[in-house]
Amino acid sequence: MAEHLLEVKGLKKYFRLGRNQVLHAVDDVSFYIDEGKTFGLVGESGCGKTTVGRTIIRLYDADEGKVLFDGMDVHKLNGKEYKQFTRKMQMIFQDPYASLDPRKTVGAIIGEGLKIHRLCKTKQEYTERIYELLEIVGLSREHANRFPHEFSGGQRQRVGIARALAVNPKFIVCDEAISALDVSIQAQIINLLVELQEKLKLTYLFIAHDLNVVRHISDDTAVMYLGQIIEMAETNELFNNPMHPYTIGLLAAAPEADPDYERSRPHMLMSGEVPSPINPAPVCRFSSRCPHARLKCTEEAPELKDIGNNHYVACFKIQEGWV
Amino acid sequence: MQERILEIEDLHFSFDTYAGEVHAVRGVSLYVNKGETLAVVGESGCGKSVTVQSVMKLIPTPPGRLKSGKIYYCGENITHYSQKQMQRLRGNEMSMIFQDPMTSLNPTMRIGRQIAEGILKHEKISAKEAKQRAIEMLKKVGISNPEKSYRRYPHQFSGGMRQRVMIAMALVCNPKVLFADEPTTALDVTTQAQILELINELKEELGTSVVIITHDLGVVARTAERIAVMYAGKVVETGLARDIFYNPKHPYTSGLLESMPSGGETGKTLASIPGTPPDLFAPPKGCAFAPRCRYCMKICQEMPPEATELENGHSVFCWLMHPQAPKYELPGRKSRLKTPDLKGDL
Repeated sequence: MAEHLLEVKGLKKYFRLGRNQVLHAVDDVSFYIDEGKTFGLVGESGCGKTTVGRTIIRLYDADEGKVLFDGMDVHKLNGKEYKQFTRKMQMIFQDPYASLDPRKTVGAIIGEGLKIHRLCKTKQEYTERIYELLEIVGLSREHANRFPHEFSGGQRQRVGIARALAVNPKFIVCDEAISALDVSIQAQIINLLVELQEKLKLTYLFIAHDLNVVRHISDDTAVMYLGQIIEMAETNELFNNPMHPYTIGLLAAAPEADPDYERSRPHMLMSGEVPSPINPAPVCRFSSRCPHARLKCTEEAPELKDIGNNHYVACFKIQEGWV
Repeated sequence: MQERILEIEDLHFSFDTYAGEVHAVRGVSLYVNKGETLAVVGESGCGKSVTVQSVMKLIPTPPGRLKSGKIYYCGENITHYSQKQMQRLRGNEMSMIFQDPMTSLNPTMRIGRQIAEGILKHEKISAKEAKQRAIEMLKKVGISNPEKSYRRYPHQFSGGMRQRVMIAMALVCNPKVLFADEPTTALDVTTQAQILELINELKEELGTSVVIITHDLGVVARTAERIAVMYAGKVVETGLARDIFYNPKHPYTSGLLESMPSGGETGKTLASIPGTPPDLFAPPKGCAFAPRCRYCMKICQEMPPEATELENGHSVFCWLMHPQAPKYELPGRKSRLKTPDLKGDL
């Protein structure tokens, strides 16, 4: 048994776009997740958080680095081992409209994994299992013969969750699993995910851009910027004591449902926009927007270092204690 | 009494489809004061966009159909204005920015010309002056190097910058009302903060009233002075932002506020609203929220509730406000500020 359920070491994923153009989607990302925990990954669009998720589950091959799941190197698994791995790790996708095959019934969608892994011996067992899964996610057994277009967004997301659960996985990658849903439905799905985690001892990698949701659901949180983790800590520590200038700016930018508080706090606006991830220079990637940037930030890249309390920050200002 | 720029009275708007009539808006009454920001909040399909688009007459007939109701703009009844009459108002008196800035800008036209087009349409002004005005506007919305940007195409801008162009286009003729339909939904949080700040600044500077349509209660808290909460084609509660957030009186508003995770509280189960919104092909005869409401009474399923007026223009459409109904304490948001200044002008 490995120390951590999932360990990502120096993961890199580059996309080659043409002559001398390399998009550094994920550039040297390391973290680990213990069994039964939820790890939140936040960042703005294009920061590489989805690519991290997809590389972990081997939808993409890694360019460098390792993903260790239960002690096995995910990207070196061969046929049989790989099939075993796909049973243990599943994914829930962002768009409940695009991620379900419109020509299959909901029952067939959920049952596909059961068939592939030959998890049911008899036909009856198979149908029973599908009914059971539908009920676990809060749908009813009559839904098994319907098609995805007959469902609302929230219900489809439940189908997506049932499909992921069908093969009894240990680990689920939730890639923006709730961002396409309405607020009241979001709450239903979040509650369902939390409840299932307790019941089935699941481990989640929870990828989202909504900071309040990540704060609610995660045990540990990492903030990504342009393909790198720039800050990582236990969730409450990160939100109550953000260190990296980007994290601070991100938290200040996210509006809260509290008019008095919103009106009283100063709105520090981060200037500028995220620079291009194509051929980035080996410097601090936030330096172009950072209010504290000094010469060193534009010459070297800071490493992610523990500054105590398991709080990791990649920023010279914090590491060297600039005033 | 503040000057009312826009007033909507009992608006009913339907779409005729092959499957039948969709009652998208079922009796909405709203008003917008001069210089204020009104937020229209609700989940997808609740009719918030349709309400605003029917005021601007942007929905073609058929399939859309204004069934009844009155719309007043600056005291004038514009309910039955023709498209030609509306053209004089649109862009000049009231304008709109949309959710997706890529699909709402013309990809084949340079952005400068798109902005100048509006000025030329509404004002007797030379092309040269119009260009000058457009460049000034681009500068105002924070686009760097406006002279050069004037000649660029929409695809050469990022999402946030495109939204700035949209705002420039909408405000170049100094409209009295700006409708912003989910203006930041497609943007990242940091860009969203920049755009909201920009809208706020321009509102102060030009004295424009803003109607912001959104489902994001955080955005509402940051921008709005007054709020109208919509559900299934009706306004269920309206009032000052503080009253709605801290002292909601409608179970739907309360449920919506509770289902948002708030900072600091982790691990707790979120209070969610069970079920889904009703089908607007056949809206229920009673209160549309009744099937999902935990305080539902018999009357709620029989008759739609009337408005109950509370102080500060806070009005609620719920049978719980009836003198004979049982009284419940509906949970709202709590301010993170320890001693909220209750005399504030919020």
